[in-house]
Amino acid sequence: MENKNYYISNPPEEYDAIVIGSGISGGWAAKELTEKGLKTLVLERGRDVKHGEDYDTEHMPPWEAKFRGQGDRKLLEEEYPMQLRSNVINEYNYHFFVNDKKHPYQTDDENPFLWVRGYQVGGRSLTWGRQTYRWSDLDFEANRREGIAVDWPIRYKDIAPWYDYVEEFIGVSGQAEGLEHLPDSKFLPPMDLNCVEKDVKEKIESNFEYRHMTIGRCAVLTEPHKGRGACHYCGPCSRGCSVGAYFSSQSSTLPAARKTGNLTLRPNSIVHSIIYDKETNRATGVRVIDRLTKESREFHAKVVFLNASALGSTQIMLNSTSDAFPNGIANSSGVLGHYLMDHHFRVGASGLFEGYEDSYYHGNRPNGIYIPRFRNINEQTKQDNFVRGYGFQGGASRPSWGRGTSMQGFGKDFKKKLRDPGPWHFGMTAFGEILPYEDNHVRLSPDKTDDWDIPQLEIHASIKENEENMREDMAQTAVEMLEAAGGKDVSPYFGEYLVGEGIHEMGTARMGRDPETSVLNAHNQTHDVPNLFVTDGACMTSAACQNPSLTYMALTARAVDFAVNEMNKGNL
Amino acid sequence: MDRREAIKRLAFLSGGALSLSTVAGIMGGCTSKSNSSGSFSPQTLTDAQNDLVIQLSERIIPATDTPGAQAARVNEYIDLMLTEWNTKEEREHFLDGLDRVNELSNQQYDHDFIDLEEADQIALLEELEQQALDEPNPVPDSDLKPFFDMMKEFTVVGYYTSEIGASEELNLNLIPGYYDACLPYSEVGRAWS
Repeated sequence: MENKNYYISNPPEEYDAIVIGSGISGGWAAKELTEKGLKTLVLERGRDVKHGEDYDTEHMPPWEAKFRGQGDRKLLEEEYPMQLRSNVINEYNYHFFVNDKKHPYQTDDENPFLWVRGYQVGGRSLTWGRQTYRWSDLDFEANRREGIAVDWPIRYKDIAPWYDYVEEFIGVSGQAEGLEHLPDSKFLPPMDLNCVEKDVKEKIESNFEYRHMTIGRCAVLTEPHKGRGACHYCGPCSRGCSVGAYFSSQSSTLPAARKTGNLTLRPNSIVHSIIYDKETNRATGVRVIDRLTKESREFHAKVVFLNASALGSTQIMLNSTSDAFPNGIANSSGVLGHYLMDHHFRVGASGLFEGYEDSYYHGNRPNGIYIPRFRNINEQTKQDNFVRGYGFQGGASRPSWGRGTSMQGFGKDFKKKLRDPGPWHFGMTAFGEILPYEDNHVRLSPDKTDDWDIPQLEIHASIKENEENMREDMAQTAVEMLEAAGGKDVSPYFGEYLVGEGIHEMGTARMGRDPETSVLNAHNQTHDVPNLFVTDGACMTSAACQNPSLTYMALTARAVDFAVNEMNKGNL
Repeated sequence: MDRREAIKRLAFLSGGALSLSTVAGIMGGCTSKSNSSGSFSPQTLTDAQNDLVIQLSERIIPATDTPGAQAARVNEYIDLMLTEWNTKEEREHFLDGLDRVNELSNQQYDHDFIDLEEADQIALLEELEQQALDEPNPVPDSDLKPFFDMMKEFTVVGYYTSEIGASEELNLNLIPGYYDACLPYSEVGRAWS
């Protein structure tokens, strides 16, 4: 029988390992497990997407898009209302986001949580922002130092070699800066700052102690790397990149896993729950519902990795009940579902910059500038009314024809003006840390289920005083920096932020030292069930302010290394 | 850079890792469906309204040394938006606005808009633009914009996202191949679309 797919449609029942989810962390689990010789089943709840072949809108010119890139408004408003509010979905990429109508969840009307999801092979690694930053001990020690939540069970030295390991594989472009609180990665050559950004950088750094600006560190290749092509600067990465210039599990980790011959990838496989055996105190496998036929079946393995996204993994755990774990597997602590975090943003500033009218750029750099955290990094930068901090992302550019809709006039002169780019402007947005609060939580709906009879998730989250105070400071420092840099008409913006819309949702199955107050130990292993691991965003004990995906990847590779060693010792 | 050159450059930069489907996709972009000739039957606009929309769009973005809104078939885009994208209220508000253009035109010049001299068409549009500035919220308790603003936004978006607007009037670069952060504007010459 011909099998055109790289997965087997009727897989055997038994595997060495099961990975739930094929996104950023699931791809890493798959690569590491298969390369260590384990027959691994990767379960993906969404449809199959073939790398390259299925990037239907890549390089599509606007006139070939039915609504010229504005999207089918009625369809999106009706069926993708939450995804739409995130502002990342458009006519060219909406097929990589979930249909909210088909995948409902419950949240508060007052403070709705935005749950932005991508159910397909590759998950959100196809559409992620690609910003890639290390954490430091400023982050790993923060909870203990301030007596907030629980202490991280790891420190920078524990994860640093795994950052190295992951970065060398995925390819991270960036500039080494030697900052203690934002350690340098193993970098490919950086992308360049444009002339206005260079000017702003110099003025910010000369006017403000402890403030730096660097080119964004991003998982986009500036030179060919491990069989993947360099960036060709077309711009809209989220349509998919057939040369694999940005890291996705599709371009990078899943092909590596496939090469071992140990990978079985099964799309359309919604995990209902983890099967638990009380006698051995082990997870013995998973119950899967076929997305299309709704038939259910079981798959068994010696070790299970949860990589279904922070809330996806927690939902599965909450739904995995047994006599031993009536409130969800590995939830003896009762903290499963709590301490949900994200990064808050939609605060920043922009201004006009004169004097560079003769300068322009060529190519669409899929990256911007980064201003690393400069609040509460030492005694001198300590703030009175908030702890932790934020970084800025942004950049300088010249608007094109889009400014025409708000520009006065029409006719020949109007057309002539729009032929040239508009004045340079520099915009930046802060991304701030949200503290872990117990009452920011998810639970299973007592009465609402989805199309596959799985209880829907109920999500409750809001930001509080520390974040509100930080937001005031974000707007103020954004303005003061752009003004010091010589910006004209500098104005702050202060938008409404909904928790989740950072698409950095994390926590709800946190790591910790004490099994009574945390779900996972220092190796992302559940305290309660030794062969069950959670290595996606659910594991996070605090949120820092850096984009988190790199840390998920490093924790995943580290956890697989630990798990396989334990298996070999006979401990799992 | 033309498309063929862009593909060669891309293939080079990517270490030859371009798949056939990618090349097919890029090349496919060379033959545009929207440029095929053929008759157009508006779905929402009447034939008379369609003619009026063509004239209005051409006055907003006229043919100069490059083709204008009419050649870019902005009217077809507007008809599609009215049919499938805009709300009923927006559609009706826009269609009412078209009627008012002709009312005004007949009051002042005794002719429909499309029969006016170009200078009179421009004068009338200037009047509509001034009205829009004076009364940015013409329908109380609604988000509806003045007709002039709607028409102008349709035209600007429709034109600059058309093949003519994006690649003849402005500089199209779907596959730049490399990034240059800072180069003299004269080397580019026109805004990137």
